[in-house]
Amino acid sequence: MTKIKHFIRESWLLIVSAFCFGLLIAVANAAWSPRIERNKVEKLNRLMSGLLPEAASFKLKAKVEIKSPKGQKTTSSVYAAVSDTNIPVGWVFNCEGPGFQDKIELVVAVDKGFGKFAGYAVLSSNETPGFGDKIKRSYYRNQFKGAPVEELGLVKTGDDKKVDSEIVAISGATVSSQAVVDIINNVVVQIKNKMQEKAVEK
Amino acid sequence: MTNEVSTRSGIYRETFAGGLWRENPVFRLLLGMCPTLAVTAAVKPALTMGCSVIFVLLCSNIVVSLMRNFLKPHLRILMFALTIATFVTICDLFLKAFQPRMSETLGPYVPLIIVNCIIICRAEACASKNTVFVSIIDALGMGLGFTAALCVLAGVRELLATGEVYEIPVLALKETGGWFVPWAAMAMPVGAFITLGLLLAVVNAVTKRKA
Repeated sequence: MTKIKHFIRESWLLIVSAFCFGLLIAVANAAWSPRIERNKVEKLNRLMSGLLPEAASFKLKAKVEIKSPKGQKTTSSVYAAVSDTNIPVGWVFNCEGPGFQDKIELVVAVDKGFGKFAGYAVLSSNETPGFGDKIKRSYYRNQFKGAPVEELGLVKTGDDKKVDSEIVAISGATVSSQAVVDIINNVVVQIKNKMQEKAVEK
Repeated sequence: MTNEVSTRSGIYRETFAGGLWRENPVFRLLLGMCPTLAVTAAVKPALTMGCSVIFVLLCSNIVVSLMRNFLKPHLRILMFALTIATFVTICDLFLKAFQPRMSETLGPYVPLIIVNCIIICRAEACASKNTVFVSIIDALGMGLGFTAALCVLAGVRELLATGEVYEIPVLALKETGGWFVPWAAMAMPVGAFITLGLLLAVVNAVTKRKA
C-alpha cells in the first residue's frame, strides 16, 4: 500500500499531464485531420489535371499490385480521366521507386489507348537540390510528353526536343534521371497488362 | 519602490535582449544546429521553422513555469519532453492542415523540434526556476533570436544559390542575360556549414571588438 502511495505521490503530475496533453493532441487531430486529408487529395488532383488538362474528373478504377525488379511489392492507384462530356481521355496512376537518396513518388499520365505518355509529375522526392531535383523541372518532364509507351532509354547526349523513347539525362544527375525512367518503365507495362486483362474480362 | 520596479524591468529587458544577441542560441550558444543547418536553404522555410520554434518554446515555457513547484527533480526531464512533444505535434498538424507545401518542404524537421536543445535548455535553465512572465519574455527573446539567426543564414544561402531572397529576384541571372551564376553548392549541406562558419567568425569578431 505504501508503495502505491509513494508511486502516486511521485508521478501524479506525469499521469495527469499525460492525460491532458493526450486530450489536447486528440482534439487538434480531430479538428484538422479532415483538412489534412483534403490537402492530399487536392494535391493529387492538381497534379493529375496538370498532366491531362482536358480531363474534367478522375475516377479511381483499380488498385494494381506492382512488383519492383528487386521483388518488392507496392500498390498503384489507377484513375480513369474523363472529359466534361464523359469521353475517356486517358489514364493516370501513381508509382514509386528508389531515387538517389530517398524514395521518389511519381504521378504518370498516359493516353486512353496506352499508346503515348502524357507526362509525369513528382508527388514527393528528396533528390539533391540543384542537380537531382531538376526532375521536377519542365526541361526533363517535357521529354516524356508524347513519348511512346514502350521501354524508355536514357542517353547522356542527344536532342531533348525530339519526342521519342530516348530520354536525355539531366547533366550532373544521371542517377536521378535513370531512377525516373526505371520507375516508369517498370510500372507502365504492368499496369497496361492489368488494365487490358480487366477490359477483356468485362 | 521605484528602484525595485526599475530593477525588475531591467531583468525583463536583460532576459529579452539576452536571447536576441548576448546568448543568441545559434551564434553564441550553438544550440539547435540540426534545423539551423537543414532548413536554411531558403528564407521561407527558415521563417516557418523559426515561427514553429517560437510557438513551441512559448507554450512549453508557460506550461513548465506553471508546474515548476510540483516538479520532482528525477522526473523533470521526462515532464519537459512530454510537454515539448505535445506542442510540436500540434504545430506539425497545424502546418500539415494549413501550410501543406511548407510542411512538405520542412519534412521531418518539424517533428525533430522535439529534440531541439534550445527548448529543453530554456525549460531547464529558465522556465523551471522563474515566474510565468519572465518565462514568456525569455521564450520570445530566445525564439526571435533563433528565427533572426536562421533568416540571416538562409538569406545569404538563398541569395547565392538562386539569386533570390524570399523568392524575390535580387541578382540578374546569367540564364536571363544578367551576370550572376548561381552556386548550387550553397543550397546543399556544404553551403550551410560554410555560411554558418563564416557568420560565426563575423559574430565573434564583432563581440571581441565590443569587449
